[in-house]
Amino acid sequence: MSDLHITTHATPAGPALALRGELDHHSAPLLREAIDRVTLHADEQMVLDLSGLTFCDSSGITAFIVARNRTLESGAAIALAGTPPHILRVLRIVGLDQIFPLHPDTGTAAAVWAQTRNPVGP
Amino acid sequence: MTCGTGHGRESAGSGPGSGVSLEASFSALLEDDIDDLYENAPCGYLSTLLDGQIAKANTTLLTWLGYRREEMVGRMRFTDLLTVGGKLYHETHFGPLLRMQGGVRGIALELKAADGTRLPVLVTSTVKAGADGEPQLVRTTLVDARDRRAYEQELLRGRQEAEAAREQAERDRARLQSVLATLQQSLLPPSLPVVPGLEAAAHYHTASPDHLGGDFYDLFTLGNGRWGFFLGDVCGKGPEAAAVTSLTRYTLRAAALHDADPVTVLGILNTALHEKYASGDARYCTVIFGTLTPRDDGFAVSLASGGHPPVLVTRADGTARYLPTPGGCLVGALPDAPFTAVTTTLAPGDTLLLYTDGLTEARIGTGSGGERYGDDALLDFAARLSPVTPGAAITAVTELLRGFGDGLDDDTAVLCLGVPSVTPIEESS
Repeated sequence: MSDLHITTHATPAGPALALRGELDHHSAPLLREAIDRVTLHADEQMVLDLSGLTFCDSSGITAFIVARNRTLESGAAIALAGTPPHILRVLRIVGLDQIFPLHPDTGTAAAVWAQTRNPVGP
Repeated sequence: MTCGTGHGRESAGSGPGSGVSLEASFSALLEDDIDDLYENAPCGYLSTLLDGQIAKANTTLLTWLGYRREEMVGRMRFTDLLTVGGKLYHETHFGPLLRMQGGVRGIALELKAADGTRLPVLVTSTVKAGADGEPQLVRTTLVDARDRRAYEQELLRGRQEAEAAREQAERDRARLQSVLATLQQSLLPPSLPVVPGLEAAAHYHTASPDHLGGDFYDLFTLGNGRWGFFLGDVCGKGPEAAAVTSLTRYTLRAAALHDADPVTVLGILNTALHEKYASGDARYCTVIFGTLTPRDDGFAVSLASGGHPPVLVTRADGTARYLPTPGGCLVGALPDAPFTAVTTTLAPGDTLLLYTDGLTEARIGTGSGGERYGDDALLDFAARLSPVTPGAAITAVTELLRGFGDGLDDDTAVLCLGVPSVTPIEESS
């Protein structure tokens, strides 16, 4: 059995979920449940911190897409942070690197989000 | 209570003559008429001679059965009151037991009434011996067992209904399994077609026989000597995944017949899947679609990937490499997914290997943190095989999958297409 630990915390930009362990068809439902529990407002950004993720298969990819659909329906945005190289390779194979904004870490994700919300100048 | 005195006082025996008067009143009630007690007892009484002839019967029994006394006494035998089955039972069990033991208790039999109706009774018989100890006659009591029979029938009916429900459930289960097997079979091509100048082989590993798999592949004609092929993986398992697999297969085939350009075909599939599954749960697939066009002594290959792991190609010169298709996006998740095309040629001795990620994501380590097989290992594996025919490659991959044992917990499909190094035409000339 695979192991996945998810910790959720609030940031000024919106909820951030840190994933640690393996994301496969055994553990993907955990991520879906965690995302369902998150309170997400319009104009917020949900960040999935993947820095602790050791494995991701097609079920994990599905969970990412479901998360994206959910945030877009709420009028919110979604971004990935701290994606390790082996996970990035999977994302590239399925083309998700073109769909999800990728950031080095949660802090950068929040900063970029703040910048896009309050662009300089009128 | 007919006695006016209190219970406590009575048992204490106080009061002159009170005990005597109670006894007398009970006697009056209980023994006033022994005949009446016999005739109208709450059970049937029957006395028969040793040959079974009825010598005496009480009113209760006569009433139950609807006989007049003179019709029964001296004219009928006990067995005349029994059903055919009862007669048989009496002959083989009841009678012998009675003779052997001098009594039989609580046997369930059915009596036949004068009007033909049946009366279930519990029968107890004892043999009465005379002063000389020789058997004289048989005394029999018959207890009305209609309530008991009704209860038994309720139990029986309940059991029969439960049994019927179980049988129905088993039939339904068998039917569902057969439907499931048929559907699953329909998701895979029954066999690969014979393509002139091409060798094709495939293997499909099902992780669980109960689950409809989400992996699929096909090889089919496009007319004018051209062929289309695809291999893919629908996310998820079960009936929903199977529905996507079905839609995907038929959309790819239909789209390819219209315009076989791989990027165009994947674009049509993307539109079809996205439109159908835009709302609700994400339904998508990763797929490689390609065409084979005869050229010189081999085929020109054009293929496009929609988020699927890259194809492996082994060459006649003994090399192996991936055919990267970067930037192709999984199919059905986005309204305008980009797809990446690549072309190559298959010359004699070259083989294409298409696979789903069950192969590369099999666990090879032990325990939960087990290492995955991975694409580097797969490339090494192919390099060791190369040059290889599709048939030999499938045999080797099947062996590899078997070696994963429990580490392989996902469906896996593998399709190999290659040009034989010595074509049959060359062989015959």
